[in-house]
Amino acid sequence: MLEIQSARKVFYKGQADEKTALNDLNLRLGTGEFGVVIGSNGAGKSSMLNAISGALVLDTGKILINGDDVTAMPVHKRAMRLARVFQDPMKGTAASMTVAENMLLAELRANKRTLRRGLNPARLAAYKERLSLLGLGLENRLNTRVELLSGGQRQSLSLIMAVGGSPELLLLDEHTAALDPRTADIVMQATIRAVEALKLTTLMVTHNMQHAVDFGHRVIMLDAGRVRLEIAGAEKTAITVPDLIGHFSVKTDRMFLAS
Amino acid sequence: MDFLQNTLASFVSLVPVTLAQSLILAFVVLGIMIPFRMLSFPDLTSEGAFPLGGCVCGVLMAAGMSPLPAILVALLAGFVAGCCTAFIHLRFRIHTLLAGILMMTMLYSINLRIMGRSNLSVFGSTTVFDWVPFLQPGFPASKIVMAGLIGLIVFALLLHFFRTEKGTAVRAVGANPDMAEAQGINVWLATIGGVGLAGAFSATGGALMVQSQGFADVNMGLGILINGLAALMIGEAIVGKSSVPRQLAAPFVGAIVYYQLVSFCLAAGMPPPDLKLATGLFVLAMLALPSLKRSRGPAPARETVRE
Repeated sequence: MLEIQSARKVFYKGQADEKTALNDLNLRLGTGEFGVVIGSNGAGKSSMLNAISGALVLDTGKILINGDDVTAMPVHKRAMRLARVFQDPMKGTAASMTVAENMLLAELRANKRTLRRGLNPARLAAYKERLSLLGLGLENRLNTRVELLSGGQRQSLSLIMAVGGSPELLLLDEHTAALDPRTADIVMQATIRAVEALKLTTLMVTHNMQHAVDFGHRVIMLDAGRVRLEIAGAEKTAITVPDLIGHFSVKTDRMFLAS
Repeated sequence: MDFLQNTLASFVSLVPVTLAQSLILAFVVLGIMIPFRMLSFPDLTSEGAFPLGGCVCGVLMAAGMSPLPAILVALLAGFVAGCCTAFIHLRFRIHTLLAGILMMTMLYSINLRIMGRSNLSVFGSTTVFDWVPFLQPGFPASKIVMAGLIGLIVFALLLHFFRTEKGTAVRAVGANPDMAEAQGINVWLATIGGVGLAGAFSATGGALMVQSQGFADVNMGLGILINGLAALMIGEAIVGKSSVPRQLAAPFVGAIVYYQLVSFCLAAGMPPPDLKLATGLFVLAMLALPSLKRSRGPAPARETVRE
């Protein structure tokens, strides 16, 4: 379960270009729930994900994961509980290391690292099996350096790395946005399979309205650093892309009127 | 013909001495490689950590300490110096190179303070090289055996470490710090520990050097960095850097080959003052080669380092 309680973050405080990124944002995501976050650029989506992962320190407010307050925890401590797939395929993997070494790093995310040999035969066999589920042939390239893989392969690897070990919270940060439509589809299908099989509590940021309609239990629309709209249950099942876009244009009209 | 014969004769006669020297300086090359390649942290501390190790070892030996503890204390001093450089970079967000320059400048004064003068003779004190059995102390053979043995042990230990779970995590910090952090790795700890380890190796090289040459000098670090870098480039050109064993072997192979090359140049009559220019041009050529080769092709592969 994820809870964000009145999170507030202001950039460049007291300066001419002061910007309120998160404005008393409240959000609650139940265990096993799949939330899809939409919103225009600058709405605070990235700030929210960064605040959850620990990359952004809040001015005020709290973040709780499964009831534990993680607000003061640095990124590497929170990593024990949550996993994240970035938009940029380069960001989620170590390029100069092999596929197997990347898998090892992910496996050790929630565990204590020892002075024992990292890549043992048992682990290599397990990685082979898990990668074969993707159907991209990565299982035969365990000793290939990640920099030699394509963007889609790297992002698929990032996904497998993130969902391995069943994190308490999975953060997907527009993770298919940088991929071509076909690869994006493969990665998205793999995501849904993993999330459903492992019943992961998931928060996905996307600009793709079709994805927001097709996937997830709840759509969360952010605007100006707070939750403007939440659609769940039967309403979520019935919603269409034009409906969602309608919510965007209402907001845009208001912005025009305000200015 | 006469010239060639003379050159070869003097080069060959110098081979054992040079080999002993290069095996000692291989530790400095190792101390340059670890931050540069494993942590993407170009570290200049070794220019100060090498004489630091020498000065600490020299003072302790002059005070009558036995040679092995003297090396261990020097190693510890180098470790602290490396940790300081990494801390300056992480805490104050100062560029890695500037942090190194600051540290090595400050170390010069510290080294002078430690010795109390610029030069200290420890000639006649027992050294680790005297412990080699069956060989006459003071000759290159004993130095080659001892320095080579220590080098081999260090190589084996590092090879094991960088393949363990902790070692893989340290390499991840160099490959992609943001990703490493997101995978639960403490980037500060790995960086400080790794650069500290490198400082420890540089200082060990300095301590061994003092025991080998019989005196410590505050200026003994002058230019060691560029020599070490040149040695590393040669080593990587010979054994490559595509895997952990190769990357770890590169400093040792590079040091051995580089110092023989230098010795050959000197034997061939190259004036010693020109040596630094030649070394600098060589390192420049090695670093520039990838971008020259691919100037017409796709984007050149530049060295990616932390800033």
